[in-house]
Amino acid sequence: MTADILAGLSAVLSLQVLGFLAVGVSLGAVFGSLPGLTATMGVAILTPLTFWVSPEQGLAMLLGIYCGAIPAGGIPAILINVPGTPASIATSWDGYPLARKGRAGLALGVNALASAAGQLTSILFLAFLAFPIASFALKFGPAEYFGLALLGISLMAGVSGRHVLKGLLAGTLGLALALVGLDPMTAYPRYTFGMSEFLDGVSFVPVMIGLFGLAEVLVQVSERHAGKASPPSAIGRVLPRTEEARTMLGATFAGATVGTMVGAVPAAGGDIGSVIAWEQARRASKDKAAFGKGSLQGLAASCSACNAAIGGAMTTMLTLGIPGDAVSAILIGALLIHGIQPGPLLFENRQEFVFSIVFLLVFASLLILGIGLLGARPLARILRVPAPWLWTGIVLFGTVGAYALNNTVADVWAMYAAGVAGFLFRKARIPLGPLVLGLILGPMMESNLRRALILSRGDWLVLLARPILVAFLAGTVLSLLWPLLRAHRSASKPNQRAVSNV
Amino acid sequence: MKAADKVTGGAFLALGLALVASGLGLPAGVGGQPGAGFFPQAIGGLMAVLACGLLLKRGEDSADESFGISNAGQVAGTAALLLGYLLLWGTGFFVVRTAVFLALALRFLGQGWLPSAAYGVAMSSVVYLAFSIGLNVSLE
Repeated sequence: MTADILAGLSAVLSLQVLGFLAVGVSLGAVFGSLPGLTATMGVAILTPLTFWVSPEQGLAMLLGIYCGAIPAGGIPAILINVPGTPASIATSWDGYPLARKGRAGLALGVNALASAAGQLTSILFLAFLAFPIASFALKFGPAEYFGLALLGISLMAGVSGRHVLKGLLAGTLGLALALVGLDPMTAYPRYTFGMSEFLDGVSFVPVMIGLFGLAEVLVQVSERHAGKASPPSAIGRVLPRTEEARTMLGATFAGATVGTMVGAVPAAGGDIGSVIAWEQARRASKDKAAFGKGSLQGLAASCSACNAAIGGAMTTMLTLGIPGDAVSAILIGALLIHGIQPGPLLFENRQEFVFSIVFLLVFASLLILGIGLLGARPLARILRVPAPWLWTGIVLFGTVGAYALNNTVADVWAMYAAGVAGFLFRKARIPLGPLVLGLILGPMMESNLRRALILSRGDWLVLLARPILVAFLAGTVLSLLWPLLRAHRSASKPNQRAVSNV
Repeated sequence: MKAADKVTGGAFLALGLALVASGLGLPAGVGGQPGAGFFPQAIGGLMAVLACGLLLKRGEDSADESFGISNAGQVAGTAALLLGYLLLWGTGFFVVRTAVFLALALRFLGQGWLPSAAYGVAMSSVVYLAFSIGLNVSLE
């Protein structure tokens, strides 16, 4: 094994491979930080370029994009409240309030540190616990997937503080929007109103840009002369103090564990993992009231989890040959073109190649950590740009980003409609997070529930004999009841205000 | 009950009932296997129940929770500019129409003509270079 480790290391310790990795990480950072451009898009666009180089060089570039895009998605989430990737929705909950308080540098620093910690922890899991994690993930059938999606949405609605009902309504609205398009099981068209643009359904990226980006611009325009919008020009320090780092340690590693486990489950990724990790950190924290208002623990947990999902997804991909998410699906294609078949035999026959991947992921994490820390201060200067210039920039990049997804103007209309809706929802105190998660997870929920019911011949009680599903359902009930009970208990304590900006 | 909650609850109740009704018109499924209409009905029913919960919820209105749009003129103006830009999408001349939109929007938001125009030209050119030339996205 030592020989394989050394062979894997020597294969990546070449100037060309490290150069490809650096290019990949830098491109990934660009793709992740621009709302509308995703890690999946970056890897897909650049995969053909890697066919003319060695597997290590090609994989270095693609893994670099993957590892660079996910933490970079947290940058716009922190600075302008627009998540760069769906996985960084939870990053905006505490990152953006921190930036508004003049601590943008620290928020970006924590994003870089916790992201690297999450990635490195998940790589350790990949190196040493790949098979147990993958075999746990394989226990997931349709019923378990349904339960996982349900838990994700309910957790997000459950953290809506005094607005749990509105959070749930937003979640159901997201699920309703996910109904648009072809039925996932029978391809029967639903709610398309005869328009071919709707056959593919409502794309969640334009909706996300609209709900978080355009709506934020409209809110800031609205509050401009009302004395509420305070331009956060201060950047502050980048690195956390020792005592701050100490308080974040537990949340970071718990987030990394959750993120790895969720990431290992095929089709589940950092979007669900970061929400679960954030809520878990909130429950474990002594300072629950700070969550959603600029908690470093909340930020660390969400950043760490959404990045740890990378290692989880890679674990399932390499051990079983099953893609953990959209990016790893493209990576499998790239590996196959290079003549490498992911799966159990890869660990038998090409162990040195597996270790090459492990080392590439480690170097990519360290590179993005360096870029994140060194770039935090210059990036945070974006907050010093006059607000109207920033607003128009957000609108322009959001519009072009939404259009670039499928080269269709329907996505831009969806983004603008979501922006206006998001503005009105913000005014009505309706949380936006559950809506986006409902839209993302809707097809997964529906198709898996229906599959589970087909397998059980329509018997709902058979489903309850599955322990993992029962655990998810119990978690769902708890996550919804707990905030209601807390709200009831704290009714006599008006100073205990729950989180409400998710 | 808060007025905003009334409007929200009413809108979601109507949407939930519409989903249930429309779901009845979709295939119900065969032999115990749920069809395309199953999930819309389930989601619509759940939404209607939750909306009723919101409508029946008791609560005191407070100043910080009242539904009001301050600075409505600027919000409406910004929205109108956005709509105009969107309606012109696909008519060609991306750099020109984007530069004009940005300059008008900045001017409307209180910036001077010259910096607004310069910013508009610079930003639209950068975006065109990055997306149209760099990523081969057809912006015209």
